[in-house]
Amino acid sequence: MYPFTVRTSATLLLLPFLLPLTDPATADEPETVEITNIANMAEITVRPLLCIVDQRTPVCEMVFHVNWRSEERGYYCVLSNLEEAPLRCWSEQRTGQLRDQRSVAEDFSYMINEGDGEPPLDSVTVEVVRMDSDDRRRRRRTRHVWDLL
Amino acid sequence: MKSSSFCLLLLSIACVPAAAAESPWRLGIAAGYGERSNPLVLSDDIPIAIDIDVAWFGKRFFFDNGDLGYTFTDNELVTGSLVARFNSDRVFFGRTETRLVNVGFTGDVLQDAVQVRVPDRDYAVEAGFELLSDGPWGYLQFTAHHDVSGKHDGYELDLNYGVGWRGRRWYIEPSVGLSYKSAALNDYYWGVRLEESGAALPVYQPGAGLNVRGRLALSYFLSRHWAFSLAAEYERLNDEAADSPIVEDSRVLGYFAGIRYRF
Repeated sequence: MYPFTVRTSATLLLLPFLLPLTDPATADEPETVEITNIANMAEITVRPLLCIVDQRTPVCEMVFHVNWRSEERGYYCVLSNLEEAPLRCWSEQRTGQLRDQRSVAEDFSYMINEGDGEPPLDSVTVEVVRMDSDDRRRRRRTRHVWDLL
Repeated sequence: MKSSSFCLLLLSIACVPAAAAESPWRLGIAAGYGERSNPLVLSDDIPIAIDIDVAWFGKRFFFDNGDLGYTFTDNELVTGSLVARFNSDRVFFGRTETRLVNVGFTGDVLQDAVQVRVPDRDYAVEAGFELLSDGPWGYLQFTAHHDVSGKHDGYELDLNYGVGWRGRRWYIEPSVGLSYKSAALNDYYWGVRLEESGAALPVYQPGAGLNVRGRLALSYFLSRHWAFSLAAEYERLNDEAADSPIVEDSRVLGYFAGIRYRF
């Protein structure tokens, strides 16, 4: 509430402890993705990776563009953790793409594997971020103009 | 936060907050650059480099960046809380200086240069209540606070309305507000008392008035935790405050642009 005096001083002291030393783009990606990816030489990419929802629009409706590539030709399937059945499978291919239209309200993942029951070679998580809260008090305006957060 | 029961009486204490499913803490930090203009004479604008957000929301009690609150009702229509806070007008009086002037603040040319400084003002502790409501139409906040620290013995009524829209990674939230300041509050912060007056600074006793403001906040999300944020605010001081000899600009302009991290 006192932008440069109290708040700033406190922050400068806390700054080294508050900011994790991670790249924003990779901060939330599980480490196992990299390890699996290197071992099996398959990669899956998804756009967009983030969707914002709020109280008025609690569901994210959009088309996700899923691309995959592998260094070896083979049988590959793209799945999501929301359904048991693969979204699509390819035979004797090294690359593939998929347009997946869906409505989601929570984080979910796309995965690529080598067919029924095989472990995922790679996975990507799509974040669905809730902008607001059911607690109205979290939206109260404090009287400084810098209440961005 | 919304309980399943619907309370017909807005301030009924029978309506209690539902248990919060999310973390009671809201912690964040933003780094960037911004400024808030200072409407006082002989003053500097307020630079903003870093801003932190520290809030904790319990079932009834909460702390929100310096405000302490007790929620006495929460239902489908409204959330009501008792709130203690510090007055916000005092923030301008922390960045003033003393100067020699040979023209008074009312425009009169003085025979001799005189040393002038903006009078000191203290933070006032204010207590009152706030009502929050929201829906598809946006959100509304009404607050009423009275001085309980014996500084200005006045009160302030505030009404704020905002609505947000989202895109894929964007969130934009314009809001507008009105703030009624009582004569006693205006007089304490923006008046000039006899013992503070001089050749360059005449006695001034303002009455009550209404501040008007508009604000625009915009966020571009990089991930769940990281976002670019922009905020701009315009506030017009009430005429009684703006006419004070210690005020040189009736407008308060603020902006901030930076990157923020939410824990």
